[in-house]
Amino acid sequence: MSLKQSLIYIYDKKYKQLLFLSLLLLLTCAGFLVFKFLTTGEFVSRGVSLKGGITMTIPAETFVDVHELQSFLSNKFPNADISVRSLTEAGRLSALIVEAADVDEDSLITAISSQGIVLERGKFSIENMGSSLGENFFRQTVFAVLIAFVFMSLVVYATFRAVIPSLFVMLAAFSDIVSTLAVVSFIGMKLSTAGIAAFLMLIGYSVDTDILLTTKVYKRREGSELERLFSAVKTGMTMTATALAAVVVAYFVTDADVIKQIMFILMVGLIFDVVYTWVQNVGILRWYMGRGN
Amino acid sequence: MLEWKRIFTNWKVIVVLVVLLFSLISIYPNPFKKGVVIKSVEKNSSAMLAGVENPKPTAPPMSKEIIISLNNVPIKNLNDYYGFTSKLKSNETVRVQTSKDSYVLRTKDIRPENLGFRVDNAPVTNLRKGLDLQGGTRVLLQPAEFVSDDTMGLLLDSLKERLNVYGLSDIIVTEVRDRPGFFGEGNRFILVEIAGATEEEVVELIGKQGKFEARIANASVFKGGNDITYVCRTAECSGIDPNRGCGTVGGSWVCGFMFSISLSPAAAERQADATKNLEVITEPGRREGYLSEPLKLFLDDSEVDSLNIAEDLQGRAVTDISITGSGAGVSEQDALFDSLENMKRLQTVLITGSLPVKLEITRIDTISPVLGSRFISNALLMGFVAIFAVVLVLLVVYRRFRIAVPILLTSLSEIFIVLGIAALIGWNLDLAAIAGLIISVGTGVNDQIVIVDEALRRRLSAERVYNWKERIKRAFFVIFSAYATIIAAMVPLLFAGAGLLKGFALTTILGFTAGVFITRPAFAAIVEILIGDDE
Repeated sequence: MSLKQSLIYIYDKKYKQLLFLSLLLLLTCAGFLVFKFLTTGEFVSRGVSLKGGITMTIPAETFVDVHELQSFLSNKFPNADISVRSLTEAGRLSALIVEAADVDEDSLITAISSQGIVLERGKFSIENMGSSLGENFFRQTVFAVLIAFVFMSLVVYATFRAVIPSLFVMLAAFSDIVSTLAVVSFIGMKLSTAGIAAFLMLIGYSVDTDILLTTKVYKRREGSELERLFSAVKTGMTMTATALAAVVVAYFVTDADVIKQIMFILMVGLIFDVVYTWVQNVGILRWYMGRGN
Repeated sequence: MLEWKRIFTNWKVIVVLVVLLFSLISIYPNPFKKGVVIKSVEKNSSAMLAGVENPKPTAPPMSKEIIISLNNVPIKNLNDYYGFTSKLKSNETVRVQTSKDSYVLRTKDIRPENLGFRVDNAPVTNLRKGLDLQGGTRVLLQPAEFVSDDTMGLLLDSLKERLNVYGLSDIIVTEVRDRPGFFGEGNRFILVEIAGATEEEVVELIGKQGKFEARIANASVFKGGNDITYVCRTAECSGIDPNRGCGTVGGSWVCGFMFSISLSPAAAERQADATKNLEVITEPGRREGYLSEPLKLFLDDSEVDSLNIAEDLQGRAVTDISITGSGAGVSEQDALFDSLENMKRLQTVLITGSLPVKLEITRIDTISPVLGSRFISNALLMGFVAIFAVVLVLLVVYRRFRIAVPILLTSLSEIFIVLGIAALIGWNLDLAAIAGLIISVGTGVNDQIVIVDEALRRRLSAERVYNWKERIKRAFFVIFSAYATIIAAMVPLLFAGAGLLKGFALTTILGFTAGVFITRPAFAAIVEILIGDDE
């Protein structure tokens, strides 16, 4: 059987199983987030820009053991929630990122210098944010995400003028966000304001592919439903492939922390989008349209 | 051959070409530009004394004055500049040739290598770099209590004044709110961005309340902060002086202003002491005389104004005193305007001594220029490689250059147009903005793919139920819905986080808008010509 035929077979006969698997995936991710919330009090670790503290970006030419530096600093400032990570540019070490809450700038600088790392004023960057501002930003950006979700639902409804398909589209977008957040949370990445911007972009993108799918299958009438489905899949995959290509390349080439986080979130989100648009949403639509017969 | 002609005479393509031309003019690139650009001129420096003007911070980068040679030695970049100046001795003459004029400077005795210029490598485009890309300090301040619009205006003016007096002119001081006005109050912040300043300088200047002092004959009378308790700005105790009004002096008009201030009792005593031994000078035509020594006002040890003290204040510990001054102009109107401007400036300075509301520094970012310039070259690299990857994917999927190349050109046009708009409105590009640009192109390619697929499918299936226009209309239906969803997602970002993500939201919105309304319709037309007719 050719690829097209086997895909059509899967969509035709096996869609219920696929739908079930995708829902299972969603529940697992949601479950993880709930678990994390119950054990630590937050869904995801927040970086300095969302809770306050200091972020230092130090250009590094020679090798530095980030784990060693992190344990040294954590021992010196036990309440400060310190994290050190390295930034690579196409494989080469290019900078160190040190994040710390509840420590003053000068002590931190002295401590880092004592480890033999050269800190020259004007060569490194330092961002110092008050904790109430950080909290404030966090609440606002979460609020922004909610507002975006609401706007989005309105636009989707205006596009289809039917409640149920619109709900399916929003469910796919919601699943995408939840799963990506779970991955980000699981690997311990610290979310920044830029990361939240990436999530917003992701909502827009995943609704984009869902609208494409739902328009083709639900609103058009030429050819059989499966044929339309297959052509939608082909277009959608190409779209995701090009977006992924741009994002993956940007992730590896960039040496700016802000951009790396945005690209990582988009990368993960785009991959999940493949599942939630082309498996979950397809499955649901199939079921919804089939039950009338 | 016929196809090329049809492509270039299609009106949608012509629109794109015209917009691209405007963008090119707006960006004004000149990669071969040599020299160092003057970013600011220090007060009382050799340069200022020779007549070099301080450039306006809002001027487009390519219009700023460039130093081309010093003493006929060509200066191509920063290395040349510092290499030359480091060899200067005191009291030497330096001939400075710039793109606009030539000046003759004399070096100072102390630190002769400092001619008073803050310079940077000459810009090659009109695009302005945000702080992330050129280094500097960004401070976010929050008033400690609720402020009205008037008070906020006053705060902004005071901060700008302070920074200007200090000698920093490449600054941005604006209010940012974290939600739009109609959504309720939200928080008000003041954002100060200063390129090329260090953190210490900035914290001293705006983190503290500022050093303001008033002296009479070198004795300090009152200082900013606790000494001045109130400065009147309302009509009943400030404005044009009713005792003096306006009149002509020589060939021009002069108007007098006055406003009252309140001193603390201690300051009032000091003022009484300082004035009691002065003489009174009377002027014909004026009812009141004034004292022989003026009241000199100093901000950070530079004299900013000198005022006459009315004679009836001599020796008295008055807590309410009137400050007077004047303004001049060629007509009465001009003199009035000048007078009121001077009054406002003075009130600002006095009030600057005692900031109406305490400001808290909620965030300070110091960004190194070294990292900043690395980000730029990295961003360019990233852009090229990303586009290359996208084209590769397209070639693999469609296997035809006829499809991949127009898509590539459309995406490049979108980037160019957004950059053109950025240069035109003088907006600073930062890292988040660059990220937004890459993303909008990466996902914007989607729209072109939708268009191409509609066109290709028509060829594959035997059915010719829908004609070309129908298909494109349907493709654009999906495109417009997607456009609306992206815009909906980005709008909240314009405000959240005290607008610090505005760059990202703006480039994304602009990129998509330029795409949906300008470049993609042209792309559809090109696709129709290249593919649609091959039957």
